[in-house]
Amino acid sequence: MMQSEEQHLSTSGIPIKEIYTPEDVKDISYDEDIGIAGEPPFTRGVYRSMYRGKLWTIRRLSGFNTPEDTNKLYRQEYELGQTGFSVAPDITTCVGMDCDDPRVSADVGHSGVPLCSIEDMETAFDGLPIEKVSTYLAEKHGIQTAMYFAMAEKRGIDIRELRGTTANCMLSWTVLNLPNQTPPQGYLRYAVDFIEWCSQFAPRWYPVSFDSYNTRDLGLNAYQELGMLFATAIAYIEEEKRRGRVPLDRFVRRFSFNTAAHNDLFEEIAKLRAARRMWYKIIRERYSIDDPRCAQFRVHVQSSGSTHTTQEPLNNLMRIAYQVLAGVLGGAQSIHANGYDEGVCLPTDQSMLLSIRTEQILQYETNVTNTIDPLGGSWYVERLTGELEQRAWEYIQKIEDMGGMAEAIGSGWVHNEYKNATIERARKAASGETPIVGVNKFRAEKEPYKVPIFRPDPQSPQIQIEKLKRLREKRDSAKVAEALQKLEEVTRSGENVMSATMEAVKAYATLGEIVNVQLKVYGQWPFPIVG
Amino acid sequence: MAEKKVRVLMAKPGLEGHWVGLLVVSRALRDAGFEVIYGANMTPAMIAKTAVQEDVDVVGLSILTANYMRLVSETLKELRNHGKGDVLVLLGGTIFEDDFPALKEMGVAGIFIPGTPLEDIVEFVRQQTSQVDKSTRPFGTLRAAQETS
Repeated sequence: MMQSEEQHLSTSGIPIKEIYTPEDVKDISYDEDIGIAGEPPFTRGVYRSMYRGKLWTIRRLSGFNTPEDTNKLYRQEYELGQTGFSVAPDITTCVGMDCDDPRVSADVGHSGVPLCSIEDMETAFDGLPIEKVSTYLAEKHGIQTAMYFAMAEKRGIDIRELRGTTANCMLSWTVLNLPNQTPPQGYLRYAVDFIEWCSQFAPRWYPVSFDSYNTRDLGLNAYQELGMLFATAIAYIEEEKRRGRVPLDRFVRRFSFNTAAHNDLFEEIAKLRAARRMWYKIIRERYSIDDPRCAQFRVHVQSSGSTHTTQEPLNNLMRIAYQVLAGVLGGAQSIHANGYDEGVCLPTDQSMLLSIRTEQILQYETNVTNTIDPLGGSWYVERLTGELEQRAWEYIQKIEDMGGMAEAIGSGWVHNEYKNATIERARKAASGETPIVGVNKFRAEKEPYKVPIFRPDPQSPQIQIEKLKRLREKRDSAKVAEALQKLEEVTRSGENVMSATMEAVKAYATLGEIVNVQLKVYGQWPFPIVG
Repeated sequence: MAEKKVRVLMAKPGLEGHWVGLLVVSRALRDAGFEVIYGANMTPAMIAKTAVQEDVDVVGLSILTANYMRLVSETLKELRNHGKGDVLVLLGGTIFEDDFPALKEMGVAGIFIPGTPLEDIVEFVRQQTSQVDKSTRPFGTLRAAQETS
């Protein structure tokens, strides 16, 4: 038979054969490398019963305008059957500035919800049963989580019972060119402090979600994504090992992960399978931790925004459905299907509903949840899983040779990888090497239709500024000053900062005031990409 | 007499962190022979000051949030206040088509949404700044803007 001359590559550049046979998996041992779901090395799934036991959580990252408007949205999502909330902070909250900071005026309420104080948090979750749902907070140094925990305390809910996740990931935040970022060493300090604190006081909370979504969206490939993801997790563990405050098995017990789901269906499935096996090996072989629960790679997956197009935005519905399917066949515990209008604006009511429905249709109509790891044993998928794993280990080694992830970020190497990847991606899109339907392939002369757009409320900044003004007037400013002073002392002493952060939040210290303490101690990190 | 290079300031008014569009377009313009000053995130006032200091002919703005009407209007006002009302202003990002007429009315010369071929952007800038003779166009450069406090 004639073989096609053309070389076929996966999105990550791995050569793909025309057909796979048992010969391709002859070095893979079923018992050692694959096994049963819920058992080491967890290649097939972290839980024994997987989706038969519990469907994945439908969780959409959302928030907009003001805490009041966001509260209405969360109530709506809850009524639609969403089983977890996922808080997207607005730009001002991301950069750690208060709404009345003169540098932020136009950005308040954009791309998320402003959360300047515990009051804003209470407004956003007003009337919602936080003791029943799980909440994801897309934040970095534990400040918004301190607000959330303090809110629970005020409601009389035991923090020990709260379920949820804090992003707390050095990798995903340092990707963004934001002012007010602490250097990588600062990230590591706050992140590890937060995990230590949760391991003692919030045992059901996932204190970190190592997140390679942004990394992937910048154009890095599937094995580079895994490499940076695990190198970051290793950096956290190494830091705790150095400190020796919490036994490592307790420290890593509630680690969770967040990856992208990109276009290459089988490669993405293989990526999630490889990730589970790698995490098991890191925990078991590298750190000799015996508790199998520590070795479970629990993962939230989100469809890749960078693959969504501004042209013919409804096409993104198809891209998102395939990407979510990859997440499901890959065994994710929680999934966010983007809005099809991701490349146009924040989601409208209609696009939001469609994302939830996309996941529900997969859950209830397609029967893809009937059996666990349906692609396990496929000569192609097993081989690809192994190849991705191999390449990801090599990438991790490269980072380790530089001294670890914090050093690799600090030296600018990581951002150089991002820069090269984005430029290469733009080149491939321009040359047509990467086909994008409706953009560089089959492009319509004129946009064939328009979709409804979402416009944030231009009044949000004013509303927030006035609320903050009232808060500043009514709070006990001596108590605030004292709490911030204490926070600074604790930060400088090297002790765990989380209790002092909680106290500051309870005294109605604002986000900006707490971040200023962090910057006072650590200084501001200059973003490495300057052209 | 040496040709004056066409100088372009590329910047992001506001604080939002998406930098890919800015970088990719900056590179494309540099590769096409323009002198690009990479400004990253700057306030409208900083953009205007830098535009004066660097004596630029073109200001490219990249905005990926829906607050562009306000940010563009503030930036244009600052440019006028700094005596730079005559520069060619380009806008890239997630801009709603319904707002194109108002933005053009405000003084934006070109608007480029995601998915626009880079060569279209380069060609637009070339045409709008066509006093520079192609044959003598020097090599493009790309450097970071100086700190303007």
